[in-house]
Amino acid sequence: MSAIAEQHPVVSQQEWVKTRKSLLAEEKALMREQDALSRRLRDLPWVKVDKNYVFDTSEGKKTLAELFDGRSQLVVYHFMFGPEWDTGCPRCSMAADHFDRAVVHLAQRDVTMMAISRAPIEKLEPFKKRMGWQFPWASSYGNDFNFDYRVSFTPEEMQRGQFDYNYNTKGFPADEATDTSVFYKDEAENVFHTYSSYARGGEGMLLPYHFLDLVPKGRDEEHLRPDPMAWVRHHDRYKASR
Amino acid sequence: MSTMSVSHKIVSETEWLAARKALLAREKELTRELDALRRERRELPWVRVEKSYEFEGPDGKLTLADLFDGRSQLIVQHFMLGPGWKEGCVGCSFKSDHIDGTLAHLEHHDVSFVSVSRAPIAEIEAFKKRMGWNFKWISSFSSDFNYDFHVSYTPEQIASGQAYYNYNFIPASSEELSGDSVFYRDSSGDIFHTYSTHGRGDEMFVGTYMYLDITPKGRNENGPRYNLTDWVRHHDRYEADGSVNEQGRYLAAAPKKMTCGCEGDA
Repeated sequence: MSAIAEQHPVVSQQEWVKTRKSLLAEEKALMREQDALSRRLRDLPWVKVDKNYVFDTSEGKKTLAELFDGRSQLVVYHFMFGPEWDTGCPRCSMAADHFDRAVVHLAQRDVTMMAISRAPIEKLEPFKKRMGWQFPWASSYGNDFNFDYRVSFTPEEMQRGQFDYNYNTKGFPADEATDTSVFYKDEAENVFHTYSSYARGGEGMLLPYHFLDLVPKGRDEEHLRPDPMAWVRHHDRYKASR
Repeated sequence: MSTMSVSHKIVSETEWLAARKALLAREKELTRELDALRRERRELPWVRVEKSYEFEGPDGKLTLADLFDGRSQLIVQHFMLGPGWKEGCVGCSFKSDHIDGTLAHLEHHDVSFVSVSRAPIAEIEAFKKRMGWNFKWISSFSSDFNYDFHVSYTPEQIASGQAYYNYNFIPASSEELSGDSVFYRDSSGDIFHTYSTHGRGDEMFVGTYMYLDITPKGRNENGPRYNLTDWVRHHDRYEADGSVNEQGRYLAAAPKKMTCGCEGDA
C-alpha cells in the first residue's frame, strides 16, 4: 500500500466546511452535466439487429429476442471468458459481484440484465456456481455475436494488430474485451441495438471504484501500471488482507 | 409497463457510428472532468476527530477506531433507520443491496466499510437478517455521532424548520437523513474526517441507476414524486402492495377485506 503523506493539511471544522462547500458546487455542476449526457445517450438513434443470433443458456437454445425474457430492454454485460479459459476475468467478476444484486431492481424498470461470454455454457455454469451469482449468463460460442459487437477478435485481427475496438481502429491487446451493450425490443419483436460502451466507458458501473474514489488513497493503482487493475482478484481468492 | 413510442430514429450502422463517436468524445471529456474532481476531493483538508464516539455492535461496544478494523481508511454509510422504525428507509436499502458484492474488493484495498444507524442494535440486526445482508452495521443510539455528522435531527430542529443537511439549512421532515462519511487513521492512531456526501452525492453507489442510465427508458420515474420513491421497494416487497412516503419509508397497503367468494362479496 502506498503511504499517504502524513503532512496532509488539517484544518478547523469551520475552514473545512468552506472548502467542502466550494467542492460541492463543482460536484453539483458535474452531476448536471452527467444528467445531460444521459439524456443525450438516450437520444442516440438505434440500429435494427437483422442477424439471427442463437445462444446457449441454462434453459437451452435462445435467440437474442428470447433473452429479453418478457421485458423490452436488455442490458448485456460482455463478460470476458474465452472458450479456452477455465475461469472468467477477475475485473469482469468484480463488476458481476455487484450487478448480480441490481438484477431484482432492474427487472422492475423493464430491464433484463445478463452476461454473455464466448466460453461454452458448460464452462460458464460451474464458474457462476463457484462465485455464487444468480444473473442469467448465456454463451455465444459458435455465433458471431461477440465478434460483431467488438468484444472478441479473430486470430487474423490479432495478427494484424489494428482492428475496430471502442470506435477506433487501434485494436486491443487481448482476444477478448469487456463492454456493456443495450438492446430494445418493440411490440413487433424487432430488436434494436441502442448503445455500447467500452474501456473506461464502463467505469461508471464499477462500484468498488466509486467507493475508492472517495477515500484518501483513491484507486491506489498507479504504481501497478501498465496493468493498474492487477490488484483485483476473484472475491474468493483474496488473501487475508490485514 | 409503459411502451416506448416506436418512432425512435432508426438508422444504418454507418450513421449510428457517426452519432456514437460524437457522443463518445463528450463521454471522454466528462471522464476527464470527473478524474479532476476526484483529485480535488482528495486534496480537501482534513479535520481531526477529537470526540470519542461509542457504538454498539452485535458483539458489544466499539469505538470509531475499532471500525477501521486494522485498515487506514473507513467509509461510513449513514443508513436511515431510526429507533422504533422496524425497517430501514427504502432508498438506503436500495443502495445497500449493491454493497455486499463490493466488500471483498474494498477490504483488500485498505478500505473498511460500515453502516451506522441510530436504531438500537437489536432492531438493526432483525432488519439486516430479513434483507440477507452481510456488511457490518452498528448502532450510534447512545452517541452524538449521527447529530455531529448531520444525518439525525432533534424534534426541536425539525420544528424550527432549520436542519443543517448537505452543507445547507433545509426544512427537514424526517428525524433521519442519509449520507456517507470518510475517515482516515494515521500510523499514530489519530483519526481524521476527510469527506462527507449527502443528497444525490451517493447516487453512483446505486449500480441499478448506473445501468438504467444507459437504457432507452432511463430511470423512468414519472411521478408522483419523480424520484426513487415512485418505484423502489425493499427487494422482498416488490410483489406487495403499498407505497413509499416522502421520507423514504414503506407504508403497507390497508389490509384487503378477506372474502373467499362463497360468502358473497358484500
